Amino acid sequence: MKYRAGIDIGGTFTDLVLMREDGALHAEKLLTTPDDFGRGIADGLAAALATIGAAPDDVDVIVHGTTVATNAILEAKGARTGLITTAGFRDVLELRRLRIPEMYTLNWTKPPPLVPRRLRREVTEKTGPRGEVRIPLDETTVIAACERLARENVAAVAIAYLHSYANPDHEKRSAEIVRDIMGPDVFITCSSDILPEIREYERTSTTVINAYLGPILTAYFASLRRHLDSIGVAAPVRVMKSDGGVMSIGAAADKPAYLVESGPAAGVIGAARLAADGNNITLDMGGTTAKASMVEGGRISRTGDYEVGAGINLSSKLVMGGGYALKLPVIDISEIGAGGGSIVSLDRGGLLKVGPESAGALPGPVCYGRGGEDPTFTDSALTLGFLNPGYLVGGDLKLDADAARDALQAIIATPLDRDLLDAAWGVFQVACGTMVRAVKAVSTYRGRDPRDFALFAFGGNGPVVAAEIANLLDMTRVIIPPTPGVFSAYGLLLSDVEHEISRAWLNRLSGVSPPDMDDAYRTLETEMTALMASEGYTPADYAVARLADLRYAGQAHELTVDCVSAGDAPDFDRLIAAFGDEHERTYGHQAEAEAVECVTLRLIARVTEERPDRQVASSRVADNERTPRDVYFGPAHGHVETPVIDRPSLSAPQDGPLIVEEYDSTCIVPPGWRAALDPLGNIVLTRGNSQ
Amino acid sequence: MTAEIPITAANVDPITMEVVQNALGAIADEMALVIMRTAYSTIVRDSMDYSTGICDREGWIVAHGMTMALHLGSFPDAMEALIRDYGDDMHPGDMFVWNDPYSGGGQHLPDVYIVKPVFIDGELEGFAASLVHQIDMGGIAPGSAAVYATEIFQEGLRIPPIRLYDRGKPNETFFKVMAKNTRIPDKLAGDMRAQVAACRTADAALCDLIARYGGPEYRDIVEELHSHAERIMRAEISSLPDGTWSFTDYIDGLGEKPEPLAMKITVTIDGGDMTLDWTGSAPQVNAAINCPAPFVKSACHLIVKCIAEEEIPNFEGFIRPLNIIVPEGTIVNPTPPAACAARAIVGWRALDVLLGCFAQIVPDRVPAAGEGGVTFPSFSGYDGEERFVCTEAWAGSWGAMHNADGAFGIPNPGGNLTNQPVEMVEALFPLEITRYGMVENSGGPGEFRGAPAYQREYRFLSEETQMVMRSDRRRFLPYGLNGGNPGTPSWNLRNTGTDTQSAIPVMPMEAVVFQQGETFLHVSGGGGGHGNPLDRAPKAVIDDIREERCTAEYAGEVYGVVATGEPATLDAEATNLLRRKMTSEPTDTTRPAYLRHFHKALGISEFRLVGPREMKV
Repeated sequence: MKYRAGIDIGGTFTDLVLMREDGALHAEKLLTTPDDFGRGIADGLAAALATIGAAPDDVDVIVHGTTVATNAILEAKGARTGLITTAGFRDVLELRRLRIPEMYTLNWTKPPPLVPRRLRREVTEKTGPRGEVRIPLDETTVIAACERLARENVAAVAIAYLHSYANPDHEKRSAEIVRDIMGPDVFITCSSDILPEIREYERTSTTVINAYLGPILTAYFASLRRHLDSIGVAAPVRVMKSDGGVMSIGAAADKPAYLVESGPAAGVIGAARLAADGNNITLDMGGTTAKASMVEGGRISRTGDYEVGAGINLSSKLVMGGGYALKLPVIDISEIGAGGGSIVSLDRGGLLKVGPESAGALPGPVCYGRGGEDPTFTDSALTLGFLNPGYLVGGDLKLDADAARDALQAIIATPLDRDLLDAAWGVFQVACGTMVRAVKAVSTYRGRDPRDFALFAFGGNGPVVAAEIANLLDMTRVIIPPTPGVFSAYGLLLSDVEHEISRAWLNRLSGVSPPDMDDAYRTLETEMTALMASEGYTPADYAVARLADLRYAGQAHELTVDCVSAGDAPDFDRLIAAFGDEHERTYGHQAEAEAVECVTLRLIARVTEERPDRQVASSRVADNERTPRDVYFGPAHGHVETPVIDRPSLSAPQDGPLIVEEYDSTCIVPPGWRAALDPLGNIVLTRGNSQ
Repeated sequence: MTAEIPITAANVDPITMEVVQNALGAIADEMALVIMRTAYSTIVRDSMDYSTGICDREGWIVAHGMTMALHLGSFPDAMEALIRDYGDDMHPGDMFVWNDPYSGGGQHLPDVYIVKPVFIDGELEGFAASLVHQIDMGGIAPGSAAVYATEIFQEGLRIPPIRLYDRGKPNETFFKVMAKNTRIPDKLAGDMRAQVAACRTADAALCDLIARYGGPEYRDIVEELHSHAERIMRAEISSLPDGTWSFTDYIDGLGEKPEPLAMKITVTIDGGDMTLDWTGSAPQVNAAINCPAPFVKSACHLIVKCIAEEEIPNFEGFIRPLNIIVPEGTIVNPTPPAACAARAIVGWRALDVLLGCFAQIVPDRVPAAGEGGVTFPSFSGYDGEERFVCTEAWAGSWGAMHNADGAFGIPNPGGNLTNQPVEMVEALFPLEITRYGMVENSGGPGEFRGAPAYQREYRFLSEETQMVMRSDRRRFLPYGLNGGNPGTPSWNLRNTGTDTQSAIPVMPMEAVVFQQGETFLHVSGGGGGHGNPLDRAPKAVIDDIREERCTAEYAGEVYGVVATGEPATLDAEATNLLRRKMTSEPTDTTRPAYLRHFHKALGISEFRLVGPREMKV
């Protein structure tokens, strides 16, 4: 039988999920091999195939989520890159938008530009905002720039001129010159190709990121392919983009900037597909951060306001400037510094703090016994009895509960003059309170009421905190999918080949006609047909949706709405009404008298594939014996002798308190909650008083 | 570290406090996002010149959004005015609006407060407060920020605290009057709608939060959080040495013949208390740079937070240990009807003065002076038939720290503003921007150098464009620290590089008019240096040459570093010799090399230093 393989590379573990064509799943956690990621993937895949008795050519397709792109930026290990700009503007990349992500700080260190000043060269040319040429391109200045960059041995060149979104001619001609002078190996990105949208810093930065990553990702994909070939796996490799679609590694090598948030996207896609009609807020809590995202009516939410390398992205432009602007569609994920490794401390005034500092994987929490001395969230969860000291990652990771208790007692409980368990419960409360902020950032901040959503929790720690976060937000439903600890790898298998392309189209709707807009869409559709053909698809294979970014004339921020048509051409009345509704929903008001302006047109093409129903997952570790244990559920409930069960035992619904232990995660069902299995194998928690 | 936890209320614990503090922060951020996403004018949505806050029932701030720090410290005075006028006459559904510095604790007329009291079961529990820099409130000049107004009556519509909504019903009279008193009624109305929406959002969220605890317990929690902030502040102050320190700086002055205006601070630390006394500052002036006291107090709050080692919570209890003295009738506390539209220049300078004083107390925590604060130009005219006003906020050159070069391209600590995209400005207004970037051979030399100056140049495309602006730091250069040189001066130049090049005063006392095709160049002040330039690591100087921040010639004359070849490499022996020679020989103190190089590129030959950092041109 045939298999699809989902492979998600993380810092410590690489998660692997194999799905057989009848839906059977096999999950494993492999150690990541940072020196050569391809080797670890190929070795692990070969071993897993052997374990389940499958042959290399049984693998149909490999879908891959990767942090290689992100890490190249975080560790400043991208290619040596040059930037060519309009004369007078080479410092746009360094000046950025000024704003920084902190207040009241006098020694904030700005991230260094990805292209240093000497590699930013200026050429004589200028195009105006309506695409009119104000100063013709002086090709001798382009040649001079190329010669300088060639002397500096750059491997990639970004070209970003003012207003090139309105007229790409100068950039295109310059790219030809760069190719002529610098040869076939140099990686070239034009801003008018990667992001034909207004706002020069964001466009330039995005272009630079693409060029900076190009040579690295090209080499990475080539190596991965080689390693897979060497174990006899010839299946095509697709890679997940930040917006949740997948593309071939061939296309990805040209546009690596699309891959930067590849990893976190997969889990959200998984949630969207598993509850296609549902309203879910996803919560992915791992070792250092918790990430939230919204899935509404089965649709994921995307944004263009994103920075890579900012550390923590609170899904808002308020906290900006910490990283490098990347204005490509990204699943709108709000991240907060609360994970299993988050360090617990007291501030000068005696308040309890959890994170954002993290003990990371090394030394890790005190209970890992690897030299960690600061108590962490995980140490508190262990102290409360939530975690089984002998049973993390299926027993691969033994925990030292006494050390965790001692650290928590000495550093938190004694100074606070509180009982150890109350202190541990406090840590749990504060951490959950912090994560509530991430959930609110994707819901209430956009005018959505979390109570209308289920909390869809995964990641190693998501199922530990889910019910408590739901309590704090007055949410009554929690969903824990199967294999929650390797859920991102599973999500990869549920992704569709999907491409989004966009084009600046700044017009007041009152000043243009529907056929004008239709013409612009048709141009984009021609482009899309060519793009999809390069991926091997004909128009019959995929569906295309038209979207438009609209705003009231004069606003700076747009909302994306579906562009409905009447007959052939867009229906402006319905478009304006849909925008007004969305504005009302998001911001609580609409301004019917205001002119509506279109900023960007978008097309999304998606290839929908048939997938089998999922079956229960297997993994390489046998189940341990489970015995009830003493768990502290806070002052309201106190100590409770809590049954510990496995997931299949929930085929008959049970009331909390309960603990569901699995290979890759632990699900806490507090008193007052009821747990059941749905037909898809999800654990569904419902709050008692909601019925 | 062991902490003492003197929490008094029996029903409040440190965990609940942390949870509530977080939740309040989330609400204030949410308000800020609503304004950013729904505002209409570029100064609000792109420059982010606004603030949001949650106040308790006494009007004390309990949370603020990540926006303009310099606004926030003035909320207390404004809220005090509101409560004074309406304390016993507020109702669910009410909303209030005001901007008057003299009757309402405001700052200047463009900064408009819209505040909604929050009620639970008929009981007042707090306020959702917003402050937005509105693009035009009428008055003598577009943008309502003319330096040259002499009385507040020329500056626009004064609004004392009044009802914007009365039990949910809009005050039509106000909206009608307002629409007739602004040049840009549609944008003003849009931005006010954004404020209203933000207040409503916060109202709902705050009600939910308070309902979780009940009014009385919530009040106890909030009071404990004020005390917690106060404790942290006192601990910070106590860790500083006791004593008294002073620092004086100057604003260049007004118009064609500027006279320096002194600003003086005296800081006294006594155990856990701190007094900040502005006595010795210049008397108020007949121009619009007088700075109402709330803004100066705000500057004090801000700097105290900046120099603290630990993050001070956004609970206003932290100001209890501070005693701020602002003598009446001075530029730091003018009396009516003094004009104050361009008051921010004094506010920005207050930051420099305070930092100059704290540099003597905690030298490792304070940078040398930067560009002098945000420069606000306002361009206006007609684009065909349509009136336009383009207001921008420029900033981005910091002084050096004791261990790092000054940061280039981040905002002044007083206001976390953004620049406006060049393409947006060009697409929306009849303006062309011809350069925006770093000025080479600029900034104050030092072991760690100040940030280079930035420059931004415009060409005017409409028949006639008026510019109202204020800048500073041409005569009194940004100070250096610990032997570092002062930064480079700021210049405003018309028609640079042509026969008709001329300088425009730092603070023109009238609108400057440009004809079609003329250009305007703003060069910011460059950051002050830290430490002796001859102690700068030669490698760092070579790096500056390679990255084209300075020329090899400049490096030799200013730093005594000899570079050869392309790319530049260090000649260590020649550098040692040259540095020895420079150490033993007297230097030109009236026309130092770094200022010569800087001015040469601008085509300015007439300048000399007449004091350590006073320049005559």
